[in-house]
Amino acid sequence: MLVQLKVNGELRSADVPPETTLLKMLREHLGLTGAKLGCDVGDCGTCTVIVDGQSVNSCLMLAAKASGRDITTIEGLANSADLHPLQKSFEELGALQCGFCGPGMLISAKNLLDKNPEPTVPEIRDALSGNLCRCTGYTKIIEAIQDAGRAMSSAGA
Amino acid sequence: MRPFEYAAPASAKEAVALLAEYGDRARPLAGGTDLIVDLKHAPGKLAMLVDVASIPEFRGIELTDEGLRIGSMVTFGEIMASPVCNELTPEIVSASHTVGAVQTRNLGTIGGNLVTCVPSADSAPSLLVLDAEVTVAGSDGNRRMPIMEFFVGPRKTCLQPHELLVEIFIPKASLGKPSSFRKFGLRKGQALALVNGAGALYLEDGKITQPRIGLGAVAPTPIRAPKAEAHLEGKTPTDELLNEAADIAVTECKPISDFRASAAYRRQLVHTLTYRVLKRSVQIASQR
Repeated sequence: MLVQLKVNGELRSADVPPETTLLKMLREHLGLTGAKLGCDVGDCGTCTVIVDGQSVNSCLMLAAKASGRDITTIEGLANSADLHPLQKSFEELGALQCGFCGPGMLISAKNLLDKNPEPTVPEIRDALSGNLCRCTGYTKIIEAIQDAGRAMSSAGA
Repeated sequence: MRPFEYAAPASAKEAVALLAEYGDRARPLAGGTDLIVDLKHAPGKLAMLVDVASIPEFRGIELTDEGLRIGSMVTFGEIMASPVCNELTPEIVSASHTVGAVQTRNLGTIGGNLVTCVPSADSAPSLLVLDAEVTVAGSDGNRRMPIMEFFVGPRKTCLQPHELLVEIFIPKASLGKPSSFRKFGLRKGQALALVNGAGALYLEDGKITQPRIGLGAVAPTPIRAPKAEAHLEGKTPTDELLNEAADIAVTECKPISDFRASAAYRRQLVHTLTYRVLKRSVQIASQR
């Protein structure tokens, strides 16, 4: 079936079997390998993408369901000139260790800051409850998100 | 996943017809947070997946003269963001917040949670204590029933294979009713309930009226605790009384032992949870 999506602002389409997940379509049909396949059952969050402003597990969503919708993946955060403030802050604070959870962590963090520009630590922890870091490096991830939120708010003010 | 066909019909009628045509080779798809996982791990004879998540009759949250209508395909994320739900049914919002994590709440629907019908369904206790009703669509039109009658057994509802859950309805008398929801899990996020539950009651001249206790993960389906409720009716809410009700609620449960918790521990949790949700409901009622 033909599935058309808007991914990171660009119209994309692919002819995929109906049982294709959004994650598989992004990775194998559109060449966007930023979102990762981890647990494949919606626990680990490394496949997280934003669909119409809401973060979802792309391993649990059929591509067919995403048809005609607006998708943001990790590839959509930076532009050709600059990294996203979250990416800068993760880099500066060394918030990633092996990095496998990174795409999901950053997308969940973006989804949080889009709705709540200066979250508290409990709010950040709640927002990341669907993202597992097996290096267990949560402390720096939380600090990086808080720093990015502050930086973005003061830049916008 | 094994190959299957996919259809996204535009109306409940079309969806019911499609499900009736394919019989047990078709399944309705809501948010997919349970079903897609099942299809990955237990591939069966599925020929057709009928996506019902965007059907307009199953969507939306509306306040009517009779009460609050929540479409079956409303996601937990949408309930949490709904000003009407936050004002009139805050415990449904609290319960929604304990489901999975952000990403699963943005996909998972309240109707899907009820239809999957696991004993630990987090949306069930709050709906039980608010005397919720559900509407079911089938070939012969719609029928409405108390939510208690919807649950039949573990992973078994009263739905026939070609029937669909349309909406959940909270009667006007329950809107704003003092209530409280609690969930005990091994973690705050991504955890199934060891025990979950809710209480609701009114205070009239200092006496409890219309007490309700709903409990999950302690019996084959989510349950009420009618004997404990009867013990509270018309009485002054002393700590002693609430503890007695909690004692009785424990006797109304049939928890199992599994790798998450023993039956004995679950019984203790039922006592603690029942006492706390009643205490909190009384506090809220007293502040009015």
